Amino acid sequence: MKKVLYTLAISSAVFLASCSSDDNASDMDEAIVIDNPASYSFERNEENTVSFGGQTTRILMAQELLGGFTTNTNTAEILKAMYAHEEGAEDFEDADLNASDKSLRSKTAASVDYFSTNATDQALIRADFESWIDGQVDEVFTNWNVAAEAGTAGQLADGEKTRYVNAQGLEYNQLFAKGLIGALMTDQALNNYLSTAVLDEGSSRADNDAGTVLEGKSYTNMEHKWDEAYGYVYGLNADASNPNADLGADSFLNEYIGKLEEDPDFAGIADDIFQAFKLGRAAIVAGDYEIRDAQADIIREKISQVIAVRGIFYMQRAKATLAEETPNYGSAFHALSEAYGFIYSLRFTRKPGSDAPYFTKAESEELLEELMEDGVNGLWDIEAETIDEISEDIAERFDFTVAQAGE
Amino acid sequence: MRRFFTIVATAVMIWACSSDGGNDPTDDVVVDPTPDPVSFERGPMLMNWADNIIIPSYEAFSSEMTGLQSAFDSFKSDASEANLVAFRASWLSAYKMWQRVSMFEIGPAETLGLRLNVNIYPAGSDKIDGFITSGSYDLALASNRDAKGFPALDYLINGLGDRDEDILAKFNGTEKENLIAYTGDVIADMVSLSTNVLAEWNSGYRATFVANNGASSTASVDRFINDYVFYYEKFLRAGKMGIPVGAFSENVLPQNVEAYYKADVSNELFLEGIEAVQDFFNGVHYGKNTSGESLASYLDALNTVKDGDDLKKLINDQFDLAKTKVAALEPFRNEIEDNVPPTNMLLAYDEVQRIVPLLKVDMVSAMSVSIDFVDADGD
Repeated sequence: MKKVLYTLAISSAVFLASCSSDDNASDMDEAIVIDNPASYSFERNEENTVSFGGQTTRILMAQELLGGFTTNTNTAEILKAMYAHEEGAEDFEDADLNASDKSLRSKTAASVDYFSTNATDQALIRADFESWIDGQVDEVFTNWNVAAEAGTAGQLADGEKTRYVNAQGLEYNQLFAKGLIGALMTDQALNNYLSTAVLDEGSSRADNDAGTVLEGKSYTNMEHKWDEAYGYVYGLNADASNPNADLGADSFLNEYIGKLEEDPDFAGIADDIFQAFKLGRAAIVAGDYEIRDAQADIIREKISQVIAVRGIFYMQRAKATLAEETPNYGSAFHALSEAYGFIYSLRFTRKPGSDAPYFTKAESEELLEELMEDGVNGLWDIEAETIDEISEDIAERFDFTVAQAGE
Repeated sequence: MRRFFTIVATAVMIWACSSDGGNDPTDDVVVDPTPDPVSFERGPMLMNWADNIIIPSYEAFSSEMTGLQSAFDSFKSDASEANLVAFRASWLSAYKMWQRVSMFEIGPAETLGLRLNVNIYPAGSDKIDGFITSGSYDLALASNRDAKGFPALDYLINGLGDRDEDILAKFNGTEKENLIAYTGDVIADMVSLSTNVLAEWNSGYRATFVANNGASSTASVDRFINDYVFYYEKFLRAGKMGIPVGAFSENVLPQNVEAYYKADVSNELFLEGIEAVQDFFNGVHYGKNTSGESLASYLDALNTVKDGDDLKKLINDQFDLAKTKVAALEPFRNEIEDNVPPTNMLLAYDEVQRIVPLLKVDMVSAMSVSIDFVDADGD
């Protein structure tokens, strides 16, 4: 099957090439000239047209909510109210967040492409996030001043830090944080705002072609949708037009693009993602939707890769830690909990040129079951072979190896 | 990452060049045997480390702990100014001896997490206050490590008031019993940890450590060099100087100096620490002027030169320069609080930093040891 496809692809490429060798097909391309700026800054009538305040707000809400996971006097109600914030409620320290009508929960597993006709999975996923809040309060807060051991929730030393885990060794705050990278940032960016269903909704294309801006705004609807995807990746960078100058500005996607960039095996990825965002936005200004969608595919591929690589990276790091003469369980379980969140997030990835994730919800859940089922005490019982199997299973669907991801 | 590859490449080259390296026949723990590149025997070096440096240092530390305990006992029975001054002197003496054993975080000390159980700073002063008031705490918990050890004692005997009479008023005031009980518990915890570590070395770990004399990532020499370089980089260089002086942050962090409340001994503690690291490098026997097989003699045997110079001499010269620079400084806390930016301390820090690549790149490459620690990613 694959072979046939390759043959077809090659022959059609050759066919196209031979067709275009001696005609003036290139004239058609030249009809649209894209003005690709050096930085992500776009103007109309000398007015800035880039806006993604809602994304910045949600990233800040997520950071404050995660901070709430380590204050053991918080109740589940308090944390859930932060998660499902309502305008005006005093859920956050930051008054601007309280005044906002944005909420994390309403955008969890909420992309048009994956969830507009899948209310069931959406509800199940949101229930997972709420179950992690409940677990933190009911299992971990109650054992806050207890030393953890197999089958008992509590605390573990990890260098100068202290990690708080459930009876299976899982850190709920890591599940929540790394799960949110998939369910909120990645799902909204890749499967919602970069989706043609969103970019081209209603009269969006005609309005964009005509330069018709949204009422009272400087930007077209399509420009804004693209910027909202951008905001989920770069919402907290100091200079939004040049975000790679301070990667790691948030502890979600931004941080982990930065981590891949530091690994020689993946260096260049930060610029690839940024350039694709910028060129795609410039293509929208120019009205070239093929170029736009090609950039969306690049972003989908690269951001999906970030999630897969970090999942494997943390599993492999934990494997090395657990193999030491005196294993640092706090460090190993912290890494495995991060890996758990990234593996959970695989269901929100997007294979370029398709409507599907690299791993379905069911497949991602299978990997997680494998991770937790070497024994009754979950991570306390995990074996190196299991870590390697899961790592291989993930890497197999991407074009990098476990060794490249793991170092 | 790149550095690691360089080290491996160098190691492979050296390995390929060595024609007559042989394994010690008693060496049965080696997982991944690599022939010794030259005739240097690692076994005698391990014995010198264990018998003349590590164990005598732990013994001296243990007796410092006994001294601290008895100074506290006197203070407990009579919280007088003279007894406070004596208690404080014992604390400083023990704290200085700690600087000579902190680097040995291998085996029993690693299992117990000795370093972070006795010296996480800054101390959690609010936490300590809460524990004293409530009288309810578990000092064995990971989250309470910043409420005990030397930094907690620093707070209790130097930080509870500006003047000695203010501190003594606390120890003779309404919370007297809780305060004394807490101080006693902190000391008992330190005594217990240090006693355990020394006992483990004497009851079997010494033999394990010395027998594991091969050359592989799990051999004693390779593992200890990793621990030694890690200690130098993270705890001596960064912890005692780099972090407080602001080398890793936007702003200076004077509250992060070691012995913050005593305020004028951070340099002394640092200098004791770097002296101990240099003495270890040269194989100097604890408390004596004699020395034995060491990292320095290992480099001599390998005839290691860097840019035409003897690496051993380069390292010792740099240690000496760093010590001279630090010795010329005002107390760290004053340097940091009185100077914006703290230029002199930053300049001294740079000399301390210059030792890192000499140890972490040049020395370990020569010895075919790979550095396997990575910085935690900070979350």
